[in-house]
This record gives sequence, structure tokens and C-alpha cells, in this order.
Amino acid sequence: MMQSDRMNEAAAPDAAAASAQPLLIRARGIAKGFSGNAVLHSVDLDLHAGEVVGLLGENGAGKSTLMHILSGGLQADTGTIEMEGAPVRFGSVAEGIAAGVSFVHQELSVIGALSVAENLHLGRMAKTAAGLVNFSLMQKASRALLERVGAGHIDPRKEAGALRAGEQQLIEIAKAAARKPRLLILDEPTSSLTPHEVGGFFSYVREARAAGAAIIFITHRLEEAMSLCDRVVVLRNGAIVSERRPAETTRQQLIADMTGKPAIYEHRPRSVNGGEIALSLRGVSDDRLLDGIDLDIRKGEIFGLFGLVGAGRTELLDLIHGVHRHKAGTIKLFGKELSLLDPSQAVRAGIALVPEGRKTAGILPQHSVRDNAAISSLRRFARGVFSDRAGDAGRVERHRQSLGIRMASDTQAISTLSGGNQQKVIFARALMAEPRLLLLDEPTHGVDVGAKSDLYGIVTREADKGLTVIVASSEVPEILALCDRVAILSKGRLAGVLERAEMTEDRILTMAFKEH
Amino acid sequence: MAMHSGLTFVRGLGRHREASVFAMLAAVAIYLSFASDYFLEPRNLLNVGRQASVVAIVALGQALVIIARGIDLSVGSVIGLSAVVAAVLMRDTGSEAIGLTAGLLTGLVCGLVNGVLYTRFRINPFIATLGTLSIARGIALLMTGGIPVPFGGFAEFVGAGRIFDIPVSFLLMIVLAVVVHVFASRTVIGREIYAIGDNPKASRLAGVNLRAIRLFVFAFCGLLAGLGGLILAGNLASADPNLGMGYELDVIAAVILGGTALSGGRGSILGVVIGALLMALLNNAFVLLGISAYWQVVTKGLVIIFAVGLDGLQRGSDDD
Repeated sequence: MMQSDRMNEAAAPDAAAASAQPLLIRARGIAKGFSGNAVLHSVDLDLHAGEVVGLLGENGAGKSTLMHILSGGLQADTGTIEMEGAPVRFGSVAEGIAAGVSFVHQELSVIGALSVAENLHLGRMAKTAAGLVNFSLMQKASRALLERVGAGHIDPRKEAGALRAGEQQLIEIAKAAARKPRLLILDEPTSSLTPHEVGGFFSYVREARAAGAAIIFITHRLEEAMSLCDRVVVLRNGAIVSERRPAETTRQQLIADMTGKPAIYEHRPRSVNGGEIALSLRGVSDDRLLDGIDLDIRKGEIFGLFGLVGAGRTELLDLIHGVHRHKAGTIKLFGKELSLLDPSQAVRAGIALVPEGRKTAGILPQHSVRDNAAISSLRRFARGVFSDRAGDAGRVERHRQSLGIRMASDTQAISTLSGGNQQKVIFARALMAEPRLLLLDEPTHGVDVGAKSDLYGIVTREADKGLTVIVASSEVPEILALCDRVAILSKGRLAGVLERAEMTEDRILTMAFKEH
Repeated sequence: MAMHSGLTFVRGLGRHREASVFAMLAAVAIYLSFASDYFLEPRNLLNVGRQASVVAIVALGQALVIIARGIDLSVGSVIGLSAVVAAVLMRDTGSEAIGLTAGLLTGLVCGLVNGVLYTRFRINPFIATLGTLSIARGIALLMTGGIPVPFGGFAEFVGAGRIFDIPVSFLLMIVLAVVVHVFASRTVIGREIYAIGDNPKASRLAGVNLRAIRLFVFAFCGLLAGLGGLILAGNLASADPNLGMGYELDVIAAVILGGTALSGGRGSILGVVIGALLMALLNNAFVLLGISAYWQVVTKGLVIIFAVGLDGLQRGSDDD
């Protein structure tokens, strides 16, 4: 599973496109373990100045551990790192930054109560002659900085907490850009960006490359890795298994490298039998974004909900789930009109949700796997006032098997599982509530390729058993892999519904960009 | 040096907070058994049990509030108001049943008010209960003109009586602790309380009725504070409008010492009882050792800071 796994036909590091450029980082034999479990086995990695390297791998492959070691957040157990030929050993993130290594994490650390300009100048605010903060100078510098990372539309005077997640992500990138790093590590920077923002961000990365920086780009989106990177490195089970040039490889090859198995999930034609309408929306509006949505979703159907960021996907699911009340129109579940005041009523009516944002809205981090899975169905299986603890254990075990959840025991804390397995537990939670309608909001966000294909299989299997599923997603490939029909939202309105035969990436995106 | 190694020891036990607070309890008890001849006398030990019982009973409710990620600062005032309402109605109607029922209802209503301020008006519970702390105390003073009202009968038996030499209030506390323990760990509502303290947003989306559970824990805490007021006044045979002043400090200290996380989602009822016993033992120590009562006030504050500091140090090592 270690060095022997490295593919022979893959390009050796020295043969990479940027080999003409000087070597910036040379890491050799990097190994790291946590409490006896080896996470990295003797990894060798070369990074050249002026090179963009894509780092791919499933969750738990060791990507973040390797990046933390390169940036000084963790120390390797064995192995050496040389920077321009001189051995270095960063004792802390601060030492790494001082040496020119910047790491933009997946988790946002923007300070919501401060302005964008203050966030960008944290710890190094400009002062006037009187010793007060020089806001006008900071705003000017911030504008230039934001422009560079393709976020010129953000007003530096604005409170950072009021920005969308994608905009906050750009602030993080701008913060790193301000340090003019020689090695810039970006961990899934594009997951919450709009297509337009991705474009601006890509031009910044190319500009930084031209200026001689080495860039490591971690992503789960293969298309982005293929279009942006000079070289793609795949990490699996703590070892580098392949290094390839995008021009000489394919999506399928990279997925096979990541998962170790060649097959990926493809849409399986299925027929939705029976014309029974499970969910029917007529003129549904909220007073903020959604306006006059009409939809009919059949029993057993996997129905997609696509839209760009801010189109209203999550907002629509929230109305159906009772998180917010609809202000106009009617929502009917199997012919019965719903007027929900709270998600607890939705769950009782048979509507379960797998929410977007596993960490913030999904898991109960201090609770065990079993308690996490059981929370939605406590009342369904209660005996009087008491909860059915013995029964919970049996139900969790059945779902562990049918969903393929990997864990040592259902009493371990959910936070000790990998992201994909945590998401499967959240799926188990929803299924244990025995819903008639399952709502999925970005169900595979931040989940690795292997778990993704597992989750697609689970959704299809449950739908075949008669469960009606709505999948809200911002990823067209996900919609194409999973859905029987798709509704496209644009700025809070329904831009149209496509049948399976009409569904192409091109058409979906065109409708999503439709203006009103 | 001994202090330092003691601190390390307690931190080492951090993952099992009941064990660490039990170790502190044992350490204080062992020290007192050497320092005072009187400490191990059954009379003294039972007295400690009696003193612990009111703090523990109110702390049972407070623990559920804190596990659900709230806090109730008003319990001390609710103790006073409930006692006064019960004593005044008992005096004016001549009916013990009406008085005691009204006392308990007063606690329940105060708790419901706290809960409604939090869930409907979205006022941070720290501020909402700080407000009711002042209002409840003010009403108690207004009702009595600041003068204590005599109080007796059944409440006096519960507060000061004994069954086979064991204080009734201590027995009541044990029974309630068992009931609340089973409630917290075995019932649907109990498990939902832990869930909303761990991640309120996720719990709501998973179908837990956030508002109802929050309202419930505040109402329950108020009810137990009302009961605590009746016991305390019964013990003194008098309902002083200033009764229970500063009790919120002892109660919250007992909860936190017992290993309940202020950040919610974590805590055990056994730990809360041990925490209350530790607070009572510290009070006893000052009396036995003849140290000024003023030092007692200082020490209580130090104990709270120590307990919360311990919580912070542990979470620090988890998150950073």
C-alpha cells in the first residue's frame, strides 16, 4: 500500500512541466502517525517555483496532514523538508508564514463583526500620525487586494459577517495573497464560490504562478484540477499513488487513482411507476426570495433542484421542511395541505432533511454515532416517555450495514469518523425516521469520491423502494448522475423543469443563468 | 508543591469529571477529619447533607438548563419569592395546601417567564434571567415590606425534620436526583435536552422542537427553585424576603464543579450532586476551622473560577 503502489507510467516529479523552474520545496520521506495510526507513509514531494500542483484524494487520505506539516501546523515524525536546498523545520504556523508558506484552510476564520478592510489588515493595521487607525488607507489597499483575487465587487467597508460564504472565502484568499507567499496552499477554496468568482480566483492563481509562487490546490472537483493545474498528485491511504499531467490523463483515471477502483457511479435508467403525486407546490412564496413556485413531484421520484448560489434552493427546502413559513401558496404532501410551524412537525409528517453544512447543521459533535443517528426518530419509537435505547442500537446496526458506515462501535463520538462516514450517519438519521419525503441539501458537499458513489447508490435504492427524494445541488454532474427530473431555480423563481431525456449540462446551466 | 501536583492530578482526571470532583470532595473530607475532631460526628455529617440538599435540588434544574446551553441566574430570587408567596398565602388563607401549592406554582411561573423571554422574545437567557432575578426579589420585598413571615407545618418537617435521624430534605434530594438522572438519560425529552445543547441548529433540523424543550428546562428549573425555597424557609421556620440571596452562585458552582460544560451538551446528574456536596463541605470547613465568614465568600468565588477555568483548559486542549 506504500511506495510499491506508485504507478510506473506516471510522470516522475523531475519530468513535470515546471522542471525548468528552480526547485522550491523538496520533501523526502515524510511520515506521520497519530496515537499509533500511521496517516502518512514516507511521502516524497517536489514543488517548483511557478507551478500549480493539484492535490487529490479521498477524505482521510492524508491531504490535510501533509499540508499541515508543510505549513508548520504539525511536525513530521520522520523525513526532511528542504526549501531552496536548505533544510527547514517550522515549529509553528507563524514560522511557516515568516518563511513564505501560507495555508488557506477550508474552514473560514473571517471575523464577522469587523469590516472587510479590518479583516484584511488584522494584526498590521495602518495608523495615522495621531496613532489612530487609518481607515482610508486600509480601504484603498483592500480594494486593490480584493481586485487581485477576483473579488473587486466586495465593498471593503462592509461588515465581513454579512458576506456570503463564498465572499468570505475570497477574503481568506486575499489575506493570504497580501503576504505574497512563496508557497500558497489552498484547501478546497472553490467549494462555495459562484462560477464567476471561480473565474476571478483562477486568474489570481495564474498571476501568482507567473510571479514565481508554488501553489498547492486541494479540490474534490476534478474539472477544476484538470483546467488549473500543471501537475496533479493523488494521495491514497497516506501515500502518493500517482503524479500526472492533466493533458495526459482523464477524469476516470484520476478517480481510479483516488479510490483504487475503476468504476464510478453512472445514472441508471429507472422508471417511476404510478402517477401518485407525493409533493405538490402551488404559488409558493416567501417574503424574501422565492416567488410563485409551482412543482409536482411523483412518489418514488428522485427530483433535482438546481440553481446557482443564491437562487433559492436551500430556502425552498426550508419552506417544505417548516424551518420558515411560506407566506403565500399551498404545499401539499400526498394531497394533504401542510402548514408547518417547525421542523419537528415536518419530521412527524414524514419529511426528513439531510441539511447542507455537515458541521454546522448536521452532526451533534459531542454525541455518539448511535445518538446522532437516533435523534430524529426518538419520538417515533418511544415507549411512553422513555426512549427505546435497545431498539436504537438494533436500528443503527441495520443502517450501518445497509449504508456501509465504517466505524469501530456505535458508541464512539461521531466527530472521530471521516466526513463521508459522518454524512452516512446523517443519512441514517433521516432514514430511521421512516420518511415519506427525503430532502437532501448538497448531500455530497465535501465528501470524497468513494463515499459520494455510495451515497448515490443509497439514494437510488431508497427511491426504488418508493421513497420520494428531492436533491438540491450546485453540482451539475451530481444532478446528472442521480435525478429523474430537475427543476432549475434562478433568483428565487422557477426557470423550468427538465425531463431526464432533456437533461444536459449545457441546458441546465443556461436555464440557471436566465435573468428575470 | 502539593497544590501543584493536586492540580495536575485533577486535570489528568479531566475526562471523567465526576471522578475529579469526587477526588476533591474526598481530599477536603480527609483533611477535615484530621483538622477537626468534630467533623466525623454523625450530627455534623448529616448537617452537611442537609445544607447540600437545597443547593443540590435547585442545581438539578440548573444542570438541565446549562446542558441545554442556557443559564438561569434568577434561581436565588425565585427561592425567596416562592417562600414568601407560600408563607403569605398560608397566613392569609390558613390553608397549608394552598400555600405550598402557590409556592411551587410561583417557581414554575417564574421559570416559564424566563423560558418565554428566551424562546419568544429571543432575549439572551443571561440577560433575561438577570432581569427576573431583580424583579422576583423586588416582588418578595414588596409583598412583605421587607419583614420575614413565619412559616411552618409540613414545610418545616421537610426542611428541618428527620426520618431515622436522616434529614428529610437530604432524602428528598436523593429521590429527586435519581428521578432526574433517569429522566435525563432515559426519556426522549432528556436526550433531546443534551442534543440541543450540543448543536441547536442541527437538532432543530433533525426534528427536535427547540422552543418547547428550552421552555421546558427553564420551567422545570423554576419549579425546583420554588421547592428549594419552601425547604429553606421550612428549615428556618420563616420566609425572609432576602432568602436565597446569592444562591445562584452556589447552584451554578455545583453544576459546573460536577462536570457540566457551560458550552452545553455535556454533564451528569451524579456529578451535580457531588458538586453540591463539595460546596456544602467547604461551607462546613470554614465553620469547623473557625475561619471568618468573609473568607468563605472569597473562597466561593475562587471555587467557581477554578471550576470554570478547568472547563476552559480542557476545551482549550480540544479545540485549539
